[in-house]
Amino acid sequence: MKRSFSIFFVSLLVLVMGFAQAGFAQLAEDIPREKTFIADVLTGRVGTPANFNVFTTAWRNPDRGVQQLMLEPLWLVDYVTGEVINALAAEGPIYNEDFTQMTVKLREGCQWSDGVPITADDIVYGIELCMQDSGMSYNAPFNLYVDKVYKTDDYTVVFEFKEPNARFHANFIDRWGGWRPFPKHIFEEAEDPLSFDFNPPISSGPYVLKDFDQAGYWTLWERREDWDKTPTGILYGMPQPEYVLFYYYGDAANKVIAQANHNLDMTDLTMEAFRAILERNEYSRGYRKEYPWVVNVDPCMTGLTLNNDVSPFDLKDVRWALTLAIDIVDYIGIAFDGAAPMGVLHVPPTPVYQEWYYKPLEEWLKNLTLDIEIDGEPFKPYDPEAPFRLVEYVKERGYDVPKEPEAIREMFGPGWWKYAPDVAEQLLLRNGFTKDANGKWLLPDGTPWKIAITAHPSPSHPQHRNSLAAAQQWRNFGIDVTVNPSEAYAALAQTGDYVVNDNWPAIEPWGGHPDLYRVLSPFRTSYYRPIGEQAVGHSSRWYNEKLDKVIEEMEKVDWDSDKNLQLGMEGLKILVEEMPTIPTFGYPGVVAWDEYYWTNYPGAENPYTQPYHHWPNFKYMLPFLRPVER
Amino acid sequence: MLFFKRYLLPRIVQFLVVVFVGITIVFIVPRLTPVDPVQQVINRITAQGAFLDPAAVDSMRKSLTELYGLEGSMLQQYFAFWGRLFRGDFGPSLFQFPIPVTQLIMTSLPWTAGLLISTTLISWIVGNLLGGLAGYFKDRRWAKVLDNISMVIRPIPYYIFALLLLILFAYLFPIFPSAGGYSVGRRIGFNWAFISDVLKHSFLPATSLVVLGIAANFMTMKLIVSNIVAEDYVMYAKAGGLKESKIAFKYVLKNGLLPQITGLALSLGQIFGGALITEIVFSYPGIGTLVYGAINSGDYNLIMGVTSLSVIGIAGATLIIDLLYPLFDPRIRHR
Repeated sequence: MKRSFSIFFVSLLVLVMGFAQAGFAQLAEDIPREKTFIADVLTGRVGTPANFNVFTTAWRNPDRGVQQLMLEPLWLVDYVTGEVINALAAEGPIYNEDFTQMTVKLREGCQWSDGVPITADDIVYGIELCMQDSGMSYNAPFNLYVDKVYKTDDYTVVFEFKEPNARFHANFIDRWGGWRPFPKHIFEEAEDPLSFDFNPPISSGPYVLKDFDQAGYWTLWERREDWDKTPTGILYGMPQPEYVLFYYYGDAANKVIAQANHNLDMTDLTMEAFRAILERNEYSRGYRKEYPWVVNVDPCMTGLTLNNDVSPFDLKDVRWALTLAIDIVDYIGIAFDGAAPMGVLHVPPTPVYQEWYYKPLEEWLKNLTLDIEIDGEPFKPYDPEAPFRLVEYVKERGYDVPKEPEAIREMFGPGWWKYAPDVAEQLLLRNGFTKDANGKWLLPDGTPWKIAITAHPSPSHPQHRNSLAAAQQWRNFGIDVTVNPSEAYAALAQTGDYVVNDNWPAIEPWGGHPDLYRVLSPFRTSYYRPIGEQAVGHSSRWYNEKLDKVIEEMEKVDWDSDKNLQLGMEGLKILVEEMPTIPTFGYPGVVAWDEYYWTNYPGAENPYTQPYHHWPNFKYMLPFLRPVER
Repeated sequence: MLFFKRYLLPRIVQFLVVVFVGITIVFIVPRLTPVDPVQQVINRITAQGAFLDPAAVDSMRKSLTELYGLEGSMLQQYFAFWGRLFRGDFGPSLFQFPIPVTQLIMTSLPWTAGLLISTTLISWIVGNLLGGLAGYFKDRRWAKVLDNISMVIRPIPYYIFALLLLILFAYLFPIFPSAGGYSVGRRIGFNWAFISDVLKHSFLPATSLVVLGIAANFMTMKLIVSNIVAEDYVMYAKAGGLKESKIAFKYVLKNGLLPQITGLALSLGQIFGGALITEIVFSYPGIGTLVYGAINSGDYNLIMGVTSLSVIGIAGATLIIDLLYPLFDPRIRHR
């Protein structure tokens, strides 16, 4: 028996040592690590790894490099620089006076990776194909608006609309998705464009497919020799990495291990995992090199969505009472240890939105009064000192932060609502709410007020953190609150089967353009759907006639115009006054970048482009990365 | 004929009823959840912020419902489903339309089958052999050592144990890769370079399953054998002066294996469900993450494809074991 055991363990040892001798290399021998950039796939394992046809409605994990490296759109939005970049388009959209026609001028000199020029024929063919086949992306919006599409020369495409539309070009702006051109000469040979796998794919972007994992974990891309025939090359120069590998590492622990082993240059993480990698890899860094580390330029606004079809959230006073029952400093402390920028508007407090909306509206916010008097004076709810209170909290936690007010507002947001539970109490009392002997709130019908917050299932997600923080704040105020995480939270929101949830308080804005049509239009009255039906607009089921008028006006003006900016402000004011949903803080993106092989990431000290590896703009970051030469 | 009528026929009928009821439940349950596959596709398109004009959402929903074949009553869809199933077709994946469900399953199944069949068999054989011997020779020192080891290992939650292996052998001593099924850039082929690469990548996930599997089988078998050694026929054999090894293997272990064979069959039948936690911890390819994604996206066809295979697998394994039992157990043969 002893002999058998000895043989077994010696065999095991030999096997392990054999692997150790071979050494662990993630890449095959012909792919040099120092010439390869490795990024994580945000959306998970690829279900159909051999299929690169991302032009249908089916899900194909475009962030495995397809949208970041393989494809160029007509336009692309950058929420850090605040610009809309002309990619395959040579300039912005040209509308006629009544917005019934749009002309697109294409950039000359761009080629598909097989050497065929990218021309107006590709655009016209692609649009017509998408209109014919209901399984293709953008079939519905194109059929809704496009009457005719044709070319007037090889680099000019004209769209004629069935009705005026000043935002039609929005369908072509790549903002983690958008209609992207595909090669006519390839697709017209396919028997069925819907089931066509587009493998090997032909690129309009600066990289071509080198290899992919049949099991869907990784996709390897190689820089095109003719990278200078792509918008990336023309606009920014040669992308530095010869190879880019997109690898799905799975959960946070695995990502930390991969980056600690220098096998993952760029990834998103949870805050807990980020702290772990900082301790284990001296080359790892966040968007900021010091606290608060997080990406505070993300174009998403987090907060709480109230179901306005459910009593008592149909009352404006109740919605404001819940807002004033929140101490935002305590709230962000609970949610993100203070590391998130606060904001009162339904757009995130990023530097560009602070310039476009927060600063112009600051005086209005300071003078805003609620329909209630405190000590004989109308109550002014806005608190521009809130970020400075947050700074005090942060200092108590032992972190260093800048002293300059501008830097503080940039880092922690421009302000929030006062913590005023006494005012909140008055707002409720005048609507028939009462308190029991234990100080717990009772509804006007005398039953205990209970709120069940439907939460994002991941405890580390900022949405979930909003739920936890809100629950704590409202419990302190005397409401019986529970948090119910659910994998089906998005589906429940769509059908209105919730009371309060942690979904975005408004659809996120462009990020790189001041136009707020996509933020405001989902609240349109005609998009309202009662509980039980799938929502078309925002899931809060709130609508407002005054806002309808703003939206209708927006549809008649150029999105670059001053008038459009003013309308955006009017819309935001209505949202603030009515408070159908409660914005709290800008999405604090947690990224970890390894500077072992590559440097010059677009961090807070040098924000030359947006900082995420999964956004389509990633290709515009690559020419600026610098190899460390190890 | 009597054997067929009284033993085989009821079991075959039972198999058919289990499969029918199981698959019917599999058809109904996803449709009772709030997750709507068409809405999930629309949500997915806009999840990261892509623009979709709200005015177009209703017409998009209508055309996708038609395209995915989700029109008609639940009963009509149910009959259409059985019609497809009899042709061996689970239809297209809704979330990854129009890729056939069978193609998606066939992409993931070899990884799951390779990992789970080998680890289930290894842990079953080694665990039962060691457990049987330790149960029979329970006073020997090595038996006590093995017993203590398995008592320490068995209660460790699988997720913790897997994570421990990952941290130990992919980070502290980076001998094995932390993720994937094979190296980036490696060409798939029937050659030693690829096979050794796959073995290297599967070593940690396999070890995590095998070690805990051995401990579980060890303890169960040891308990069974501990009871058998006190049976009269074993005492009689000992009193009769038969060799220890003959009593251990022919009388004790052979009888102890009967319930374990049923366990093995069920374990093998369950492989169609995949090993979700293993796949997540080690980022290892397999059918577990495939079905997890399908549930989250409301991909009815893919859910039905995987779970139908699982129902058939488990019911089939039970049937096969029932049919084979007379070979192992003479009491059934002579009943």
